[in-house]
Amino acid sequence: MKSIALKHFLYETAGIYLFAVRFFKELFKPRFEFNEFLKQCYTVGNTSITLVSVTALIMGLVITIQSQPAMETFGTESWLPSVVSISLVRELVPVITALTCAGKIGSSIGAELGSMKVTEQIDSMEVSGTNPFKYLVVTRVLAATLMLPLLIILGDTISLYGAYIGVNINQNVSFHLFTNQVFAKLDFSDVLPSVIKGLFFGFTIGIISCYKGYHTKNGTEGVGKSANSSVVVSIFAVFMIDLIAAQVANIFHIL
Amino acid sequence: MMEKVSYNKEAIIELINLKKSFGNNRVLNDLNLTVKQGENVVVIGKSGSGKSVLIKCIIGLIKPDSGIVSVFGNDVSKLSHDDLDQMRAKVGFLFQSNALYDSMTIRENLEFPLRRHWLKDTKDTINDLVLDALTNVGLADTIDMKPSELSGGMKKRVALARTLILKPEIILYDEPTSGLDPVTGKEISNLIVEIQKKYNTSSIIISHDLSCAKITSNKIVILIDGTCYATGTFEELNNMSDKKVKQFFD
Ligand SMILES: Nc1ncnc2c1ncn2[C@@H]1O[C@H](COP(=O)(O)OP(=O)(O)OP(=O)(O)O)[C@@H](O)[C@H]1O
Ligand SMILES: [Mg+2]
Repeated sequence: MKSIALKHFLYETAGIYLFAVRFFKELFKPRFEFNEFLKQCYTVGNTSITLVSVTALIMGLVITIQSQPAMETFGTESWLPSVVSISLVRELVPVITALTCAGKIGSSIGAELGSMKVTEQIDSMEVSGTNPFKYLVVTRVLAATLMLPLLIILGDTISLYGAYIGVNINQNVSFHLFTNQVFAKLDFSDVLPSVIKGLFFGFTIGIISCYKGYHTKNGTEGVGKSANSSVVVSIFAVFMIDLIAAQVANIFHIL
Repeated sequence: MMEKVSYNKEAIIELINLKKSFGNNRVLNDLNLTVKQGENVVVIGKSGSGKSVLIKCIIGLIKPDSGIVSVFGNDVSKLSHDDLDQMRAKVGFLFQSNALYDSMTIRENLEFPLRRHWLKDTKDTINDLVLDALTNVGLADTIDMKPSELSGGMKKRVALARTLILKPEIILYDEPTSGLDPVTGKEISNLIVEIQKKYNTSSIIISHDLSCAKITSNKIVILIDGTCYATGTFEELNNMSDKKVKQFFD
């Protein structure tokens, strides 16, 4: 039983890896599906923008409210905006955004490609002289890779606004003072890693969900499974990447 | 230049000793079939007998385990990617499940193969071709709908229009009349014959529908146990006393 699960895991990992290799091979072959790429960017952004905004706002608000009592005990309330903003921008917003997108984008790509697979639409594209991998997979992966960092930047901005509201529940801090305090500690070197992380998050979510959808089996039942496992595996991958990124960032900090 | 493998000069599609298994499931077993220029061949067989697999081998969607698939005199398994695309542009394929693109309107569905294969065309001619193709199947007014808004039979007819839009020289129909009422089914059968006469196309038609087979066929092939069990015209097979053949004509 265990060995079957392990075999399945290794098999899937190898499959996803080979799928990613194929992505890079096909990426540079001619006939770039630019219109489809733009359409996918719009879809990715459009489906997740509301959820990302709301979660980011709540995140900023909650973290600020919860940190306040602790900081008061140490008499460091004036540090609240800078401390909160750093943890938001460096860690919380990128990961929460990626998780939200893993749910939203992962399930929609998994289900869409899955149903295209089982209803022979992918075969039909191939017969119509279109490379379905380029048309469906490359465009979606690129769109997710590009849009995730943008969504993270949006999330950063909104979460900081949430933090501003949070600070103002118990204190009275002007927006001007708040931004001054935030940007006294927060700088470009905090935003850049989260954007780079966002690229990896987006790429991984895209590859995994496309892989799951593209290899759907067993008819309509398989479509549900693909959508489901796209989300589960993407979420797992997001945490793994986050862990690795933290280690890498740590090493460079020491150097 | 591509190597010609055809043994029969008249043959436009030739299958020689075709074998295909999925795991232990042997689907095609030494199948031989020839389609000549301008000929409509109807393939009859039980559900699961490998009819769809057969025509997918012809278009290169499924790779046979052994045997030769020759289309226009070229061995399909040896074609380069570009040559395969060129070959496919001349072959129409109607999927059993229609395979209409859910996310696109009917217009976009029909434009899809046009844009892929004939990039040079202007917007006007593309528009005309789409309208023409839809009018042929009597569905011009659905042009801005999505496939999900159509009935099963309408989807089938739109899929047929999409198959025919590139004016292919070979057409592979997978159950063109299934899910249609007898009247519409007959219209589609007549359309198939009309296209054959007008453009001198060669077709393989998979069908369970005897009236469609009667109208469209020049030759009927009965597929049993992965091979062509019997071949002949509708009349010839209809008068055969063989039990296995008879069961299809009751
Ligand atoms: N991709 C595949 N993987 C595994 N087995 C397959 C695959 N495609 C077809 N088969 C098997 O091949 C056999 C023939 O399938 P096929 O679709 O050709 O039947 P058919 O003659 O078209 O039947 P129907 O009239 O019901 O459409 C079936 O037993 C099916 O299980
Ligand atoms: Mg079939």
